[in-house]
Parts: sequence; structure tokens; C-alpha cells
Amino acid sequence: MNYKTLIKKFTYSNRRLHIHVGLFMVLFIWLFSFSGLLLNHGEWKFASFWDERKEKTTETAVSIPAGLDSLDKLKSILSQLKISGEVNNVKMTSDSADFSVSYPGHVSNIHADFKKGIGIQKELSYNIWGKLRTLHTFNGANRDHPDVEPNWLLTRVWRFSMDAVALGLIFLSFSSWIMWYKIRHNYSWGYLALIAGFVLAAYFVFLLRS
Amino acid sequence: MKKYYPPIRTLHLYIGLFVSPFVLIFSISVLVLNHTDFVNSINPVKHLPVVKTRLDKIPYDSTDLQTAKGIIQKLGIKGEIDFISQNDDHISFPVTLPGIRTKIEVDKHTNDVLITREEEGALRATNYLHKMPGPHNTKLRGNAAFMKNWRVLADMVVYLLLFLSASGIFLWYFLKAERKLGWLAIVFGATIFTGLLLFILG
Repeated sequence: MNYKTLIKKFTYSNRRLHIHVGLFMVLFIWLFSFSGLLLNHGEWKFASFWDERKEKTTETAVSIPAGLDSLDKLKSILSQLKISGEVNNVKMTSDSADFSVSYPGHVSNIHADFKKGIGIQKELSYNIWGKLRTLHTFNGANRDHPDVEPNWLLTRVWRFSMDAVALGLIFLSFSSWIMWYKIRHNYSWGYLALIAGFVLAAYFVFLLRS
Repeated sequence: MKKYYPPIRTLHLYIGLFVSPFVLIFSISVLVLNHTDFVNSINPVKHLPVVKTRLDKIPYDSTDLQTAKGIIQKLGIKGEIDFISQNDDHISFPVTLPGIRTKIEVDKHTNDVLITREEEGALRATNYLHKMPGPHNTKLRGNAAFMKNWRVLADMVVYLLLFLSASGIFLWYFLKAERKLGWLAIVFGATIFTGLLLFILG
């Protein structure tokens, strides 16, 4: 196969991939675009979520068998309270455990008293706008402990989806340059569009602090 | 509808080229945000030497923000004031430019100033830009000129991205050769998207 045929095959596959990867990701792109706008526009009244939150406090009997380590104690409490999600802010003593469990649109703050054998669960539930906002940021990252990985399987799956969408968008950007380069003589303003975009982006990422 | 194909194709191409560097900023920052530990290991934050200085007087103004702005103006520091903490003895606040974070602490009694700076680098700069202006401290946000511009640009990028995805669907629809596979890609993507949301949101 000669060089020209190879290039032709590459540009053809690149174009097809650009189309189909874009179509595959379209709902993810819309979700992250729209939720990004919601995060940047707290003043949008129709998307108010905090004032519309629902709060509920429940008290449940919990029994913690003796001899369990901290992790097993937490697992036991979660299973007895029948909740699942990303566990955060764990504070544990020999007599009690305090922690939060969250998934997009829902946060439970839990206090378990081992001596009294009760688990107090304070739940916060958000409406659809709150759920959309939290989906945008739900990656299980711990600012104080960046080495700690997400502890809920679905957080990991969602974070993987975020990574995949990001990589997909990077591919769409690169493939668009290749597609344009092939037809650059007919679309010579493309130079200006691309350079203008790069100069502006570089200004914010590199030049502002120099 | 077909008569719109050529102008929409041209717009899709030019807008896509212009927006692509910003899409890279947002995409790279997602990877940075999701893998902070890895980024810290390959590109640690550099702590610059602490600077101690003294102001002749604190330029108290009508609001905390104006006072903080007056202080950074006197110190010759530029950036977005993220938030302000104040008590009877101190006023302190971080000032950020993408990639460099400065913390300023002023002793109200002596006018002594402690300036600590961290050079975070280009990767964390994308991270900062991605999160800005964001939902927090909305009354303060946009106190630096670059943040006002970035706010407009960030919105514009999102609207243009929405246009690109909609126009992409329009352009694909007229490509008969790609229609079947395109439908498959849409249905496959929608199934995964819906399935994920159903699982996560319960």
C-alpha cells in the first residue's frame, strides 16, 4: 500500500469516526453542557434547587457486632440503613460513627450511636435541577485527600464516563483539524478561526500569569 | 432542508475550529480533576518563597471586596479574589490567576502583610478555568477583568458546543452512506446514557 492510499484511508476513517463518535456522545455532551450552564447561572430562577430541597430525618435501630474493623462497621451500618452511595467525611470513635453518603441529587448525613444502637439519618433530596448540577461534579474526588479513590462502584463508573467523554471531545477536536486540513484551500478562513481560538485559549491558560 | 446544508456545514467547520482549543481546555481539565493524584505526582505544585512586607495603611473601603482590591492594588498583585475572611485582627484572601494562587494575610493592627504563592502550572490552570465562574461566592465572582471575560467565553463555548452537536446531527442526516451506522451510534449512546442515569439516580 503506498503512502497516498494510506493517507486517503486514514482521512476517510477519521471522518467516519468523527461523525459516529460525535453521535454516540451527543446526549452526554448535552448533559454536561446544560449542567455546566446551570452551575454558572445560579440566578436562573427556573432551575432553583436549594429552596426546593426535601429534608427528612429517620431513626433506625442498628446493631454493630463486636470485633468489626472500621470499614466493616460502616458496611454494616449502610446495609442496616439500606442505603448506598459515595461515603465521605467519616469520623469514627469507639462509641459512634458520623459520615455522609451521597449520590447525585441526594445526601444522607448519618450518625450511628453504637451504645444506644440507633442510626440517625438526615436526608437531603434535590429536584431534577439539583440532580443535573451534582451529576456534573460527581467524581468522588476528595480535595483534602487526592490519593483516595471513589468508594462506590457507580461513582467509579460515572467518573469513567466523564473521562471517556473528555477523551472523546479531545478526539473530536483533533479529527476536526485533520478534516479541515484536507479541504483547507476551500475554507481558508479556517486558519483565522483556529489561530484565534488558540491565541485566546493560550492567553487564559499560559499568558495571564506570565 | 437540503438548501441549508452548505451554510450549516461552513458554520459547523469554522465554529468547530474556533471552539476546539476551548474544548481541549475543558476536556483536559476533566482528566485533571478526576486524576488529581496522578497530576500531583507528575507536576507537583511549586511553593514560591514567602514574602513579608508592610503597607503604609490598609485602604479600607465601602466593602470587604473594595478593601481587598485596594490591598492587592497596593501590592501590585493581579487576579481574581476568590473569597475574603476577616476578623478583628486579620483580613485574608486568596487571589488567583489560572495557574498561580496567591494568599494574602494582613495584620490589621500592624499592617504587616504575608504573601504566599503557589505555582500550579498549566494543567491546574485548565482545572481552575473549568470551575469558574461556578456556583460559589457569586456576589464576589468576576472582580477581575479576566474573569468577566472568561465568564462570557465559557458561556459562549457551551452554546457553540450545543450548536455544533445539533448541526452535526443535521449534517449527518444528509449523509445517506452513514445513516445506518449513525443511528446505531445514537441508539447505543442513548442506551448507555439512560442506563447509567437510571443506575446512578436510582
